[in-house]
Amino acid sequence: MSGMPLLEVEDLHVTFRTASGPVHAVDGVSFTMKPGSSLGVVGESGSGKSVTARALLRLFAITDDVQISGAVHFDGQDLLRIDERRLRDVRGGQIGMIFQDPLTSLNPLMAVGEQIAESLRLHRGMSRSEAAAEAVELLARVGIADPEQRATELPSSFSGGMRQRVMISLAIACRPRLLIADEPTTALDVTVQAEILLLLDELRRSEGMALMLITHDFGVVAATCDDVQVMYAGKLVEKASMAHLFDRANHPYTEGLLRLVPRFEDAHTGRLHPIPGQPPITGGGGSSCAFAPRCSYAVDRCRSEVPPEVAVGPQHLSACWLATDRAKDNTEAGQPWRRAQ
Amino acid sequence: MSVLEVDDVVVEFDTDAGRITAVDGVSLHLATGETLGLVGESGCGKSTLARAIMQLVPMQRGSVRLEGTDLGSLSRRELRRMRHRIQMVFQDPRGSLDPRMNVSTLIGEPLRVHGIGDRASRAKAVAEAMELVGLPVAVADRLPSELSGGQQQRVGIARAIVTDPAVLVCDEPVSALDVSIQAQIINVLDELRDELDLAMLFIAHDLSVVRHLSDRVAVMYLGQIVETGTASEVFGEPRHPYTHGLISSVPRADAESAARLQTARRMVLGELPSLLDPPSGCRYRTRCPYATAQCAEAEPPPEPVGRAGGLHMVRCHHWRTIVSAAPEPQESATSQELAI
Repeated sequence: MSGMPLLEVEDLHVTFRTASGPVHAVDGVSFTMKPGSSLGVVGESGSGKSVTARALLRLFAITDDVQISGAVHFDGQDLLRIDERRLRDVRGGQIGMIFQDPLTSLNPLMAVGEQIAESLRLHRGMSRSEAAAEAVELLARVGIADPEQRATELPSSFSGGMRQRVMISLAIACRPRLLIADEPTTALDVTVQAEILLLLDELRRSEGMALMLITHDFGVVAATCDDVQVMYAGKLVEKASMAHLFDRANHPYTEGLLRLVPRFEDAHTGRLHPIPGQPPITGGGGSSCAFAPRCSYAVDRCRSEVPPEVAVGPQHLSACWLATDRAKDNTEAGQPWRRAQ
Repeated sequence: MSVLEVDDVVVEFDTDAGRITAVDGVSLHLATGETLGLVGESGCGKSTLARAIMQLVPMQRGSVRLEGTDLGSLSRRELRRMRHRIQMVFQDPRGSLDPRMNVSTLIGEPLRVHGIGDRASRAKAVAEAMELVGLPVAVADRLPSELSGGQQQRVGIARAIVTDPAVLVCDEPVSALDVSIQAQIINVLDELRDELDLAMLFIAHDLSVVRHLSDRVAVMYLGQIVETGTASEVFGEPRHPYTHGLISSVPRADAESAARLQTARRMVLGELPSLLDPPSGCRYRTRCPYATAQCAEAEPPPEPVGRAGGLHMVRCHHWRTIVSAAPEPQESATSQELAI
């Protein structure tokens, strides 16, 4: 694998101007992705994880009053600075996207095969007949039985799981180098979710594309991603390999997220541990640790200074004033979320 | 004694495409202070069953007995008088609350509708219910739109418990909520069950949540209960291939997560058949890796698993030959053990 990053996000800021004041949805986020790598982005609603993904492709509603700054280097260009026409080539071309609800992204009045073929003609310059044949091929590749027949059907005749497969076939049609999946399985039944997660993993390996998966579920990340980053109030608070994070979660917010859901392997073991309070509705932009008001470990410094990202292990960063101390006594046995609750 | 007894309930619907059997001969029972988790995927009939128990949809067959009274035998008026003993919590807290009523009016509404108590005793009951679900007194005058999602669901729960029910039917009560709010609401339900000695039917598709809250579990597939037992029996030693597939599908935050999904893929094949044309014999056979000719010919009866008089029941012709393997991380030999 080449050492050159595929994607390099530098100091990304996204601010929405709303009637009740500015919302710093993304507040200085930097990260890189290598070709073919897999990255899970985890956080609660409003943590900025979806906005980060949308900002990479400037996918905002016309009605959004939004300001973006920073840089998004992808394939030798800064996606934040190229013109709209070139950006359209990247969207659905080199970068594919799938969302939680495939119905909102599919044209309800057009046969699914035609929709895929349209994208192939647009991005890959195929002829009508070539594109039609390739569309059937793509539907077969995402596990849709009888693809020739199904290609002629409207999205409404597909079940939720099959519709998400159609969406994935559309997203990979132009052989993207990066696939961004925003809560792709949240609306699906658990056995269907398992199928879709396996499909994403297999496609990543067979197509050699990178996968950025946005979710609130660490289990979903564990099944599909090598690396993980946790967001809170528009900032990255922890980055690590998923394997490393299981044993050495460092940031108190990560610990809170891991502890607050019931784990399947535990029988009833007392009450859950919700994180008290709520995330700030105005996002980041403060002069303290945004998590401090909800953090049971917070000290004075947390309330007066923004914590920097601190290396606490190999490729492991934690933005917490207590990160170094926590890393010291953070052995596997010491992981509070693993201890019997 | 069981506070709720559901016996051989059948619910059929007419759809544009034909008649379907959404609930197909379901029996279950609930004791005071006990939580029964009902799991299964979209279209398995779990929500329809809940509505049938609430007498909100007509049943073609079977009976629902609440504290010994057959609800189906009651007149409309008699049924209304019983209703305060069985209450429901819904998935979408906002959609189930009248936007023009404030919190205390909303919570007091079931008492007024059922003509329970006088003004003073109602106000007291509302205050108690608010305290039980953890709503601060300060929100009593607020409208639903002024509440957070978690507070809205607390109002939904307070409305359900204010009439002092014996049975609480919860239909996906946390699935519309953000993860940190989910944990709060799960704790509220957990505490209520203990404090009020409620019998709870807890319907959810999230198996981790169900395992956390339930004493017993029933697994539904295409309108039928295919496996039931204590939570540790069903989730720890699943006997039905579908239960095994469901359990393996749960993505867990550990290193074996992807391997487990591969097991799930082997246990649940293809797509859910249409209720318009359900498979003959065993309902699960079209997706089952162990299906034989026998499965197409005869419907498997519910059979007891394990010790006599136990609660573990499964509907599968081959459960004895399918070696049970709880898909726990340390048991990496799962796939080999399962090959019959």
